[in-house]
Amino acid sequence: MNQPTLHTPLAVVGSGMAGMAAAIFARNRGISTVQVGRVSEIGFSSGCLDLFSILPGRQPVAFANPFDGIDALVKKMPCHPYSRVTHAQIRRAFVQFTDFMASAGICFHGPEKYSRHAWNNQYIITPAGTLKPTCWVPAAMKAGTEAIAGNQRICIIDIKGLKGFGAMQMARAMQSKGVHVTGATIAFPGRETAGDLMCERLAWDLETPNVLEQFIQLVKPHLQQVDVLGLPAILGIYRFEKLRRIMEQTLGKPVFEIPTLSPSVTGMRMKEAYMGKIADLDLLHFPITVSDIFQDKNEFVFSVTQGMETRKIRAKNLILATGRFMGKGLGVRDEQIKEMLFDLPVTQPENRSGWLSNDFFDPAGHPVNRAGIETDDCFRPLDKAGAVFHPRLYAAGSILAYQDWKREKSGAGISLVSAFKAVSHIAQNIPAGRSE
Amino acid sequence: MLIIGGGTTGTGIARDLSLRGIGCVLIDQKDINAGASGANHGLLHSGARYMLKDSETAVECSQESELLKRLAPRCIEDTGGLFVAVAKDDDRYIAQFPGLCRQHGIACTPLDIADARTKEPCLAPDLKAVFHVPDAVVDPFRLSLDNAADAQKHGARILRNTRVMEFISHNGTLSAARVQDVRTGKIFLIEALQYINATGAWADKVAAMAGVHIPMLYSKGSLVITQNRISSRVINRLRPASDADILVPGGTVSIIGTTSLEIDNLDDIRPTMDEVDMIIRQGAVMVPVLATTRYIRAYAGVRPLVKNGSEKGRTISRNYTLRDHEAEGVENLVTITGGKLTTYRLMAEKTVDIVAKRLNNTVSCQTAVLPLPPSKKGAWTEPGKSPRAWAAHPRPKDTLICECEMVSESMVDDIVDTLNAEGSPPSLEEVGRRSRIGKGPCQGTFCSFRLAAYLYHTGNLEGDQGFFQVKAFVNERWKGFMPLVRDKELMRLEMQESFLCGLFNMEVDR
Repeated sequence: MNQPTLHTPLAVVGSGMAGMAAAIFARNRGISTVQVGRVSEIGFSSGCLDLFSILPGRQPVAFANPFDGIDALVKKMPCHPYSRVTHAQIRRAFVQFTDFMASAGICFHGPEKYSRHAWNNQYIITPAGTLKPTCWVPAAMKAGTEAIAGNQRICIIDIKGLKGFGAMQMARAMQSKGVHVTGATIAFPGRETAGDLMCERLAWDLETPNVLEQFIQLVKPHLQQVDVLGLPAILGIYRFEKLRRIMEQTLGKPVFEIPTLSPSVTGMRMKEAYMGKIADLDLLHFPITVSDIFQDKNEFVFSVTQGMETRKIRAKNLILATGRFMGKGLGVRDEQIKEMLFDLPVTQPENRSGWLSNDFFDPAGHPVNRAGIETDDCFRPLDKAGAVFHPRLYAAGSILAYQDWKREKSGAGISLVSAFKAVSHIAQNIPAGRSE
Repeated sequence: MLIIGGGTTGTGIARDLSLRGIGCVLIDQKDINAGASGANHGLLHSGARYMLKDSETAVECSQESELLKRLAPRCIEDTGGLFVAVAKDDDRYIAQFPGLCRQHGIACTPLDIADARTKEPCLAPDLKAVFHVPDAVVDPFRLSLDNAADAQKHGARILRNTRVMEFISHNGTLSAARVQDVRTGKIFLIEALQYINATGAWADKVAAMAGVHIPMLYSKGSLVITQNRISSRVINRLRPASDADILVPGGTVSIIGTTSLEIDNLDDIRPTMDEVDMIIRQGAVMVPVLATTRYIRAYAGVRPLVKNGSEKGRTISRNYTLRDHEAEGVENLVTITGGKLTTYRLMAEKTVDIVAKRLNNTVSCQTAVLPLPPSKKGAWTEPGKSPRAWAAHPRPKDTLICECEMVSESMVDDIVDTLNAEGSPPSLEEVGRRSRIGKGPCQGTFCSFRLAAYLYHTGNLEGDQGFFQVKAFVNERWKGFMPLVRDKELMRLEMQESFLCGLFNMEVDR
């Protein structure tokens, strides 16, 4: 059955960090939005919001203050997405995004919002026993960050059958860095004999009061001469703030979570929080993948099909937040990297043999990581001649060229600021209010 | 007796010596089969490939392969092999082939082309000749590990991660080797009556420490592993030995190779994108599906070729070189290098004959008579074996560390036990070499961490060892994956980097 065509001032293609951020910023500006795309990759999120920490290179430089780092980065890479935004815009983007997340139940242990000085990177413990610098730490991880900074005694507890999260691995590696960490293992209540446990399953279990109670009793004996308890991120998907509070009150000690490998509960929480607030966003969200978008009379036209219903959508503005290879925003044809929806020119190494470094961990990063879409200062993609491809087409997030978010620890930041600037520019040309 | 080099030859020598009642220590700078012994086709040659250029090797391969099929059946899959000629191949060579086989004692049967294509549907449609020969497949890891295990059972000692720094000699006799445990940095002496240099491509470097020289040429050979098994039999291109003309099945995968590229440096042996592209292009002439199939990884090894005059690459003999350095003034050092995996036993026998004689040991060689007993050490190397074992005896509590290849904690325990029994603790790479961990589609993204976590949990790793071992493990897998990166592989790279760099910060931490 065909529904009437839906006219919208803004379509956001993609539901990852950049897509979510774009929809949130559009709401803040009163722009009604249609969003398409599966919320998938966000399931990989650690739950932290990175801004900037490492300037990659043969000798990588770590910055305590992300803004100092960004200044150095832009000097070295004048086309980096961060070169197109001011510090004030970066702050506004983060504040708007985290305010929204807080309203959806996810609180961040963030910086003093308006003082540059207080935006310094903080450290979280990772399952590899390494320390990862990040800017905004979720409240669920705050006690760990403070314990490291305050040189407290931490006990990390892992769970028999939960793979890739080894308390002893973290403890030994952290000990060698001089951090006071011990490790212990418990069997999860009711799942003592299971060989393969998933974080999501355990998080659901812990939402049940008697399981939580048993869990707390199992953990307790390990906390003598310990200041803080670290657990894999499994403390619930919806009521996580409450579950952590109950644990802390019963044990009399701060509890923090450590992000796990995918699919991670931290990412799931963010996705659930966002989906739960969609009604407030003046947003129509279609969790499907769009593979064809046409331009007609200066509008972007595409169809979404759900079950028996197909709906045509006409959008005045479009933000491309389709991600990189995992998100299928980028792909490869004839050994050339392509943008998959508009066939936008992709800045990239000359040929395939220049994509990669022999060292997987090359501190300068693989050249292919900086391949992507080239834009103007408003994040509008450029055509081959270097002119704006379409006056109302924008690109946001990891699809952008010149960034290497994995090395820079800048993933959330790039997504947020590019979405923020794009939406700001769109807002200049749209009268606020609903348009449907 | 000190054996330097833990490849197939070195472990074969250790077993041969032990069975003759001669005590020995085997050291390797890395691990069993860490060099070319672990980076080859795993082809048990019938000899047919070498008939034209290397008659002696062909005969030896023919005899040894038949012997090994009887004595080490668990290491061998007796697949049989085909030699196939496509339209453009040289008719003269095709015509010569059956006669050459007869001369070398290699059983050769011409096959009807339609029949051959029924047996191996992957074969190209434009075939003009097919012959069946007794090629087979050997698991080189299992072979060396079983040899090492049997040697240990008879008194041999094996020291992994132990490299020679120098020899101490008096009047042309080596009195000791100064060696270093590369993990702990500890330096110690090993005193022996006789010294055997079985270091493959490193033969000249080790010989040089004793003041003698072996003119060598290093020929890099690269190979690519497919995600699925393509054929039941070994498939050879019926033409004089060239690039990418052998497809060897093994368990659940197939391997296509090789190349022959002269190199100067042994430090960073890796397959390149160009080589892999060429292998796939060439291989597809014989087996067209190779152009479109999915590949898991590429790898490269170095053929240690000993120079004789001015020959190059594929023209140099693939026969082994056994050099008694007595004539050059070092009276208790023997070097054995070159040769084929198929003839490792014979090479070991000939080497041990020399040193045994010097010790007045008159026990005859046992390895041509005694079967090679299977061992716990080599139990988990075969592709497809762990999933079968898992399916036959599922134990829900036995957590799977590697989901791609279904390697469980109890299998890792087995391997760790054998490593600890050698007196030095296991590393990720060593467990990887003895199992299928990291060899499936995830190529170590998840399992390297799980394995590290498990080894810490069981007290087999300490301090920040795991951090460096995971990095080394991932980089070793990367070496084999990088040349295959084409389109979908970028997705996996992105995911792997998101974890290892984005979240774990491994490229800068420490």
